[in-house]
Amino acid sequence: MPGHRTKGFCASAAALVLCAMLAGCGGPGESVGGGKVVLRYTWWGNPDRAERTEQAVARFEKQHPNVQVQTSFSAYDAYKQKLATQAAGGDAPDVMQLDYRQIDQYASGDVLLDLAKQKAVLRTGEIDPGLLATGRLDGTQYAIPQGRGTETVAYDVKAWKESGVPLPGGSWTWSEWADAMRALAQKTGRPGATDPGQSEDCFEVWLRGQGKSLYTKDGGLGFTAGDLTRWWTFTDELRREGVVSPAEQTTQLDGSVENTPLGRGEAMSDSNWDAPASGYLALIPSGVALAPMPSGEDGTPGQYFKPSMFLGVGASTAHPKEAAQLVDFLINDEEAAHILGATRGIPVNESVREAIEPQLKDFDRTIADYQASLEGSLKDPPQAPPSGDNALQTTFQRDYDQVSYERMSPREAAENYVTEAKAELRS
Amino acid sequence: MTTTDISAPAAGKAGTTPVPKRRPKRESQGPAWVFLSPWVLGAIVLTLLPMAVSLYLSFTDYDLFNPPRWVGLRNYVQMFTEDPRYWRSVMTTLTYVVIAVPLQLALALGVALALKSMKRGKGFYRSAFYAPSLLGASMSIALVWRAIFNDGGTVDNLLGTGGWVNKPGWALLAVALLTVWQFGAPMVIFLAGLQQIPGELYEAAAVDGAGKWRQFLSVTVPMLSPVLFFNLVLQTIQAFQVFTPAFAIGAGKGGPADSTLVYTLYLYDRGFVASHMGYASAMAWVLLIVIGAVTAVLFRTSRSWVFYASEGDR
Repeated sequence: MPGHRTKGFCASAAALVLCAMLAGCGGPGESVGGGKVVLRYTWWGNPDRAERTEQAVARFEKQHPNVQVQTSFSAYDAYKQKLATQAAGGDAPDVMQLDYRQIDQYASGDVLLDLAKQKAVLRTGEIDPGLLATGRLDGTQYAIPQGRGTETVAYDVKAWKESGVPLPGGSWTWSEWADAMRALAQKTGRPGATDPGQSEDCFEVWLRGQGKSLYTKDGGLGFTAGDLTRWWTFTDELRREGVVSPAEQTTQLDGSVENTPLGRGEAMSDSNWDAPASGYLALIPSGVALAPMPSGEDGTPGQYFKPSMFLGVGASTAHPKEAAQLVDFLINDEEAAHILGATRGIPVNESVREAIEPQLKDFDRTIADYQASLEGSLKDPPQAPPSGDNALQTTFQRDYDQVSYERMSPREAAENYVTEAKAELRS
Repeated sequence: MTTTDISAPAAGKAGTTPVPKRRPKRESQGPAWVFLSPWVLGAIVLTLLPMAVSLYLSFTDYDLFNPPRWVGLRNYVQMFTEDPRYWRSVMTTLTYVVIAVPLQLALALGVALALKSMKRGKGFYRSAFYAPSLLGASMSIALVWRAIFNDGGTVDNLLGTGGWVNKPGWALLAVALLTVWQFGAPMVIFLAGLQQIPGELYEAAAVDGAGKWRQFLSVTVPMLSPVLFFNLVLQTIQAFQVFTPAFAIGAGKGGPADSTLVYTLYLYDRGFVASHMGYASAMAWVLLIVIGAVTAVLFRTSRSWVFYASEGDR
């Protein structure tokens, strides 16, 4: 290369390299699509929820022509991992759906924006103060609850009726539940339910039915290895009898309704949260009904009303105002509530709830009626779980795998879990 | 994570360009650096820096959200003395390496030998056997594999095994088979090696009365040993880092009952599911050191069994 051109060439090459690097570094928060503000909004859920969310978002975009919303969703397990990675990389979405279990970790990690600062566009006046407080940490409002949910036993109505076993009534104890499942398995030759042993949520309901809790007030473990041994012995015996799903099916659970034994047509019922149970309709067109979770032997209810999920705004968002507007729309707009129905639980805004409740239809109606039937009979929800719980949910499932594949006794697995849980909660 | 690109030094040969007529002036290094800069920057920013950060993090408690907290050797101590699941992942990985690598190399060599003596359709079969190596590393194929070996899947229907991926005793084998199936890359290298063996050697051996098996042991194996060694090292390093098939077949959790919880999957679980990035970094460094050690051992043993044709000249 001739010497006199070298300098100019170097400069231009360097400029090129820099341009390429800068282009690569442009944060997604600053991206602008055709002069519009672009918001990223992510959630977990099923196709039913996705369809309705898309409709609601389209409506929001109509109201705010300067804003474009990019949405994405996945099943809960995958969502949890993806969001954690994004948040850690400082690339949290502008608006994100959060679970009760994530609030503590995300808020204390400065991932979430203080929503009180967006009061002007985000109204919270019509949300029950107790419910609203569940999105608060150390006095700061990090997230807004979006709906109210509770656990349920969802079942295939037609198949249950055909089996001749009496349909579930208003309430049942765990032993009555087990008897019903046993009768179903005998009559139909298929397991009555998903093995509840793998579910930390079911264990919590069982534990609360005995007046205990998963965690103590100071974030320690609220139960002993003995309690867990009794629970796993109970479920393990049902599994050995063929009353609940075999290990080969239980291990395929991933938080989506499609991969539950009920969704795959291999069991008669499943314990799940009420809102996602709407997803079963696509899989069991003949109909799904909801029964309450079993209670303790003396009738103490273990299930509770929980803020079904939250909406939070990323602390690093370039458009806090627009993001808060989207949250406000999803929570307070009556039109949005009509579209969304009860897919994320019954709306938290009281006047919106009153306005839409009479008009709810199909499965939304089922959920509303189910919640109404429990009104006043449930105990207060536990406080938000400590950060470590996020990982322990998976650990719980894995340790129970060792029981259902008969590699460990319920006692060994329970002791294992308690050791791991203590280490997790300490760190 | 470590690099598996041990073929990189070969690229150095490209640097032996013909001697220029005019000696290059000192300042003409400038353009070279400009052209190199993307790669130099890339190596620093994308490789060296993350490695340094990971080494630092391995001595900290870091949950992704709060600033890392220095804990000294605690992660390493915990790993070796307090974590039964860590040792389970080590044993799972070793079992996997011992099953997958020999099977894969045997299959690759077998097919290469068959293809070498083939008269027609060589090109077709070579491509057909190589295709899985191009596709197999992808998530989609791993998911298809899961469906095939699932309860009610193809294998279940044909053999009545009831689905391998749901049985703790069989799931790891399904993972290994997915790797073995991707024998295309070592096969092509074996094929190239086989074609380098001079035909006279076989003729001479035949004249001396050696049968096919004797020819294979006395001519093919020694002449092929450098290639065999290369494939062994490469595949072993890769096997230690197996992730995608185990992730897909174990439904992302190393299931059923931790039977497919290979090392990298447990590392991923600690880092991204349980948010213990410090611990995951420490695991990554131990893996790097172990792979380095295993490779060193392989190189050491190679002195006794790898035969280079040029040695005969010495």
